[in-house]
Amino acid sequence: MSHVTRRFRDVVAVDDVSLQVEQGTIVGLLGPSGSGKTTIVRMLTGTLAQSAGELSVLGVRPDRFPARLRERIGYMPQLFHLYPYLTASENVAFCASLFGLFWWRRRRRVREVLELAQLGGARHRLAKDLSGGMQRRLSLACALVHEPSLVFLDEPTAGLDPMLRQAVWAEFRRLRDAGCTVFVTTQSVTDAEACDRVALLVRGHLIAHAEPEYLRRAVFGGEVLDVRTSGRTDPRVVKAVPGVIEVRPSREGRLIVIADDAGKAAPRITEAVSATGARVLSADRYEPSFDDVFVALVERSGLDRDEEEVGS
Amino acid sequence: MIGVAKSVTRIFGLTVKELRDLVRRPGAILSLIFGPLAIMALFGAGYEGVRKPFETVVVLPPNSQLPHDAKTYQDIPALDVRIVAVTEDQTAAEAQLARRDVRLLVYVPADAEARFRAGQQATVRVAWNSIDPVEDNIAKATTQLLVDELNTKLIAVAAGEGMRLANVPNTVVPPEVIAQPLQVKAENRSPVPATVLFFFAPAVFALVLQHLAVTLTALALVRERLSGAMDLFRVAPVRAWEILVGKYVAYGLLSVVVGAAVAALVVRVLGVPLAGAPERLATVVILLTFASLGAGLLISLVADSERQAVQLAMLLLIVSVFFSGFVLPVDEFRPVAQGVSYLLPVTFGIGLMQDIMLRGEGGSATFLAALALMGVALYAVDTMRLRQVMRRAG
Repeated sequence: MSHVTRRFRDVVAVDDVSLQVEQGTIVGLLGPSGSGKTTIVRMLTGTLAQSAGELSVLGVRPDRFPARLRERIGYMPQLFHLYPYLTASENVAFCASLFGLFWWRRRRRVREVLELAQLGGARHRLAKDLSGGMQRRLSLACALVHEPSLVFLDEPTAGLDPMLRQAVWAEFRRLRDAGCTVFVTTQSVTDAEACDRVALLVRGHLIAHAEPEYLRRAVFGGEVLDVRTSGRTDPRVVKAVPGVIEVRPSREGRLIVIADDAGKAAPRITEAVSATGARVLSADRYEPSFDDVFVALVERSGLDRDEEEVGS
Repeated sequence: MIGVAKSVTRIFGLTVKELRDLVRRPGAILSLIFGPLAIMALFGAGYEGVRKPFETVVVLPPNSQLPHDAKTYQDIPALDVRIVAVTEDQTAAEAQLARRDVRLLVYVPADAEARFRAGQQATVRVAWNSIDPVEDNIAKATTQLLVDELNTKLIAVAAGEGMRLANVPNTVVPPEVIAQPLQVKAENRSPVPATVLFFFAPAVFALVLQHLAVTLTALALVRERLSGAMDLFRVAPVRAWEILVGKYVAYGLLSVVVGAAVAALVVRVLGVPLAGAPERLATVVILLTFASLGAGLLISLVADSERQAVQLAMLLLIVSVFFSGFVLPVDEFRPVAQGVSYLLPVTFGIGLMQDIMLRGEGGSATFLAALALMGVALYAVDTMRLRQVMRRAG
């Protein structure tokens, strides 16, 4: 995607987004509701035209996808759209036939993806009689049945329990390892952490696109140490230590220290604090949650201020 | 070769999906398959096709010497008139007509004989009270025939009286022949009796077939468009024509099965003749179904909601009832309105089915070609429209 913008009348749903995705990776498009995630997926799958900018998927403009290329793309929309009066296996078989799978391969794949989605026991149940979570899994099974090399999954784990979520992510990793590119939209930072790369989207703006670990480091400007001392320690003492970038007082007797290299900084901080007569009780590497990372990035972007929510 | 095989796979998948989706809904099956059968059965069993005679009151002039007994007059008209009363109370008779308790009043003139002897015509007034134009026309015709019949009888009486005075024997020229020297011997060369059931059964069959096909397909695509399934079609390598062929095959199969069942009911149970070749009738059923499915799919592709699709299907049914020749003959419409008639598949279907079933003919080649052409044109329009719908949103 290069400088892609999508407007719905006077509302800008996606604003000048540029994004490049490597083949064989899991990319998470993370953002709150209405941030433009679905709009991006729809543009990439060729179901929605961009207002400006350039798009290329598997080397082809989405509006010019030939049939052979479409057979390599899987898509799971955000809303359940399958056929309520067809059974789970009939729905999956129908999707497989749409992608041209012949019956022998179709039969095998239907069984496999239903097992993957833990719907093997519900294969003969009508889709309308499945729970919301089961319907999501059924949609996922439909998107994966033809073994696509690029799959777009619009909030695939919404409504799934933690066990199933793990199983689904294991399948995504298996797909990735087999060379498939998995493009996932999510509101869950836990999901985002499992991605190879994360693109953060807020109000139609792409505010970051990198590996989760890199983003975590980028937000804080370095590695983070949680330093606990025996008494109150003047932060300026720690700040003066070489390699320390920033010191933030935390709860009583604790300091959050951001350093270039936490391993090298820790003994120096211990030494500096000891020189003041106090004692360092512990200096542990601190792993901020990705929630914190997300909030910090949004705050930094200045897009957290109240504005009219964009549609997608 | 693989491309063709994949196309067949997709079409087969779409067809099976449609059929499964349909048969899993018992309500839909009940109304779609048994509904037409029930309509035909009710029509055949319930319609008598015999117009009830006009209940008539004869209003005599005051102090008339004419008989006051209804039975005396019953054999006079020999028409669809049943004398229910003879009265001198004009006000009461007119009140009956106003309440529509009776349908015809015949006023016997008080001065008929005097005017006749004076060389003048007497006037027999007949009144009715109907807002139905068909009944109005029948009443007019009945009135004219009634007066003709009365005149004939009067002439016969006068001739008989004159011959008796002139001593001419009745055997030379009977007075009835003098009064009515010509008689009619009419014959209908139709190969089957011209009964209402026979005439309307093929028309109802054609209309039921069109309506079934239209209602089956009118919701078929609108539901998918609104549910978001169209996004899946846009992403998948499925083409517009494949989606349409899948639907045509599924609903076509179902319509033809229902058509065969209705035809069997019409011929075997209701006793409507099938004078023509069954394969010719089957051709018409297939062509009518093909064109009607196209019309239903077009509704499905232009309607923006399920409610609108249902409304449009009903609108098509109403237009068909009025303009197809089902009730009123097509050639009685002005040319512009006839244009509407010939835009409806059922117009051709009715004409062809009546010709094949009742006349034993092969059916007009022009009508057959028109029906086939209409089917192809609708398929082409549907494909273009679906392509437009499947094209990504601008």
